[in-house]
Amino acid sequence: MTTTPWHLDGELAGRYAVGTVGPVLAASVEQHLVACVPCRSLLAPHVDTPRLDLVWAEVLEEVEAPRPTLLERLLGSIGMSDATARLVAATPSLRGAWVTGMSVVLALSLLAAYVADNGVAVFLALAPVLPALGVAAAYGPAADPAHEIVAATPYSAVRLLALRTAFVVATTLVPAAVAGLLLPGPAHLALAWLLPGLALTVGTVAVSTWIAPHQAAAALTVAWLAVSLRALAPRHDPLLVTTTPVVLGCTVALAAAAAVLLVQRRDIADVIRRTA
Amino acid sequence: MTTIEATELVKAYGRHRALDGMTLHARTGVTGLLGPNGAGKTTLLRVLATVLPADSGQLRVLGQDPYDAVGRRSVRRRLGYLPQDAGFHRGFTAFEAVDYVAVLKEHTDTRARHEEVRRVLDLVALGDVATKRVRALSGGMRQRLGLAQALLGDPPLLVLDEPTVGLDPEQRMRFRDLVSEAGQGRTVILSTHQTEDVAAVCSDVVVVKEGRSVFTGTPTELASLATGRVWVDDAKDPRAVAGWRVGAGHYHHIGDPPAGAELVDPTIEDAYLLLLGPQAAQGRGEAA
Repeated sequence: MTTTPWHLDGELAGRYAVGTVGPVLAASVEQHLVACVPCRSLLAPHVDTPRLDLVWAEVLEEVEAPRPTLLERLLGSIGMSDATARLVAATPSLRGAWVTGMSVVLALSLLAAYVADNGVAVFLALAPVLPALGVAAAYGPAADPAHEIVAATPYSAVRLLALRTAFVVATTLVPAAVAGLLLPGPAHLALAWLLPGLALTVGTVAVSTWIAPHQAAAALTVAWLAVSLRALAPRHDPLLVTTTPVVLGCTVALAAAAAVLLVQRRDIADVIRRTA
Repeated sequence: MTTIEATELVKAYGRHRALDGMTLHARTGVTGLLGPNGAGKTTLLRVLATVLPADSGQLRVLGQDPYDAVGRRSVRRRLGYLPQDAGFHRGFTAFEAVDYVAVLKEHTDTRARHEEVRRVLDLVALGDVATKRVRALSGGMRQRLGLAQALLGDPPLLVLDEPTVGLDPEQRMRFRDLVSEAGQGRTVILSTHQTEDVAAVCSDVVVVKEGRSVFTGTPTELASLATGRVWVDDAKDPRAVAGWRVGAGHYHHIGDPPAGAELVDPTIEDAYLLLLGPQAAQGRGEAA
């Protein structure tokens, strides 16, 4: 037995296009259209092209556009625009590897504070370095493979650096503060690393207007460790480098000087140092 | 209209002068910077793209002074730049990589930005791999991705550093088509050390040697510098500046031809090698 070939006519095509055929007939039409070129051609003039384009654009948007990450959604919920949130979320040092590395350093230095003589000094020496290293990993040729492309865009380099610094510091601050609270000894130890941490971070940003951020962070870290680890010597008080009035005063002065330098040199930061 | 006016630019790294009195004037169309490695092309393009300041000299780009913060931002808003080692986060998709740059180029409206990203990806024929990770793209695709981000916002000035490096012949041909099309109605500055690129796409050419320009003109004018100084012979002529074997067993020579030599039409490469001098020309001859 053979079946008579069935095709759409103009009237059915028109009714199908405006959606006035019943669901069963519509399903038959759709099944047929999949395999029949002439019937598809018959339907083509009835297609609402602008609407189709709109639907296609929606499909592409759904498939191709980047899905906001958890961090982007969080930033959006506190009122940050999606564009700015993308720039923050693209920060390398906000990624898992950095957070893991930072947590390991904090955990080890916390362990040292409990088991080693003068172990608190190890924590107080290492904790301030973390936000500065995080900033170095957030911006510049060593951190961003697209750095040279980024440098040629109109987005302010200082603004980008400041934006990322703020979020790196914020994300470093929480675990370091929690670790600080767990330190043996007086309660104020939990906060003793904050000022040097601030000075090193602002200093890194300021020195980054001369050299690449990773070089700036490395130089300041070495200088800081050279000074602070002297407290490991038995005759020194472990809190020497962070809590005496002289050291506190110097730290504040350094942070302020770095901030002033940064403001003065913001235009210079807008071009790159030699990258090759 | 002159888009770029660079006069006597100097840029030194320690004792080495990467730019040593470079002068360049570029107008609408494709201007090719032709020169050997280390001639200063990349340094010049970085200076033109406002990412590296020259030590001295005068520079105006798109009528603006790039050493002034306002002028520099104005230039960057109308500039597309493809650096030599254009990289992207390898974990980004092709779409995300271009979208990231689009945000930095002040495309703040999400929907409009995504449409623009889609447009430039389609322009470089990467629309079908928009959701692929950068790490999964071939070298040629990554190069086109670099061009895509440079085309964001349809800028009147494109600065492209060695855009055809690392491409196979077919990809290079496609890339030249793209650059030729991009050069319609805008200024494109591209650096290359391949004379074929210049012949294929450039309306103007500047030959760069040791940090300064030694020739400025059209590709035809460049080739004509070697008129009467190119000949073929059955055997290699030791008096030639350079000679290399070509098809059918002949030797192609450049230099001062002997009496009665069979002169042939010069190519851009012949003139380029003559301009660069015996050392570079000899290199070509030995490589052949």
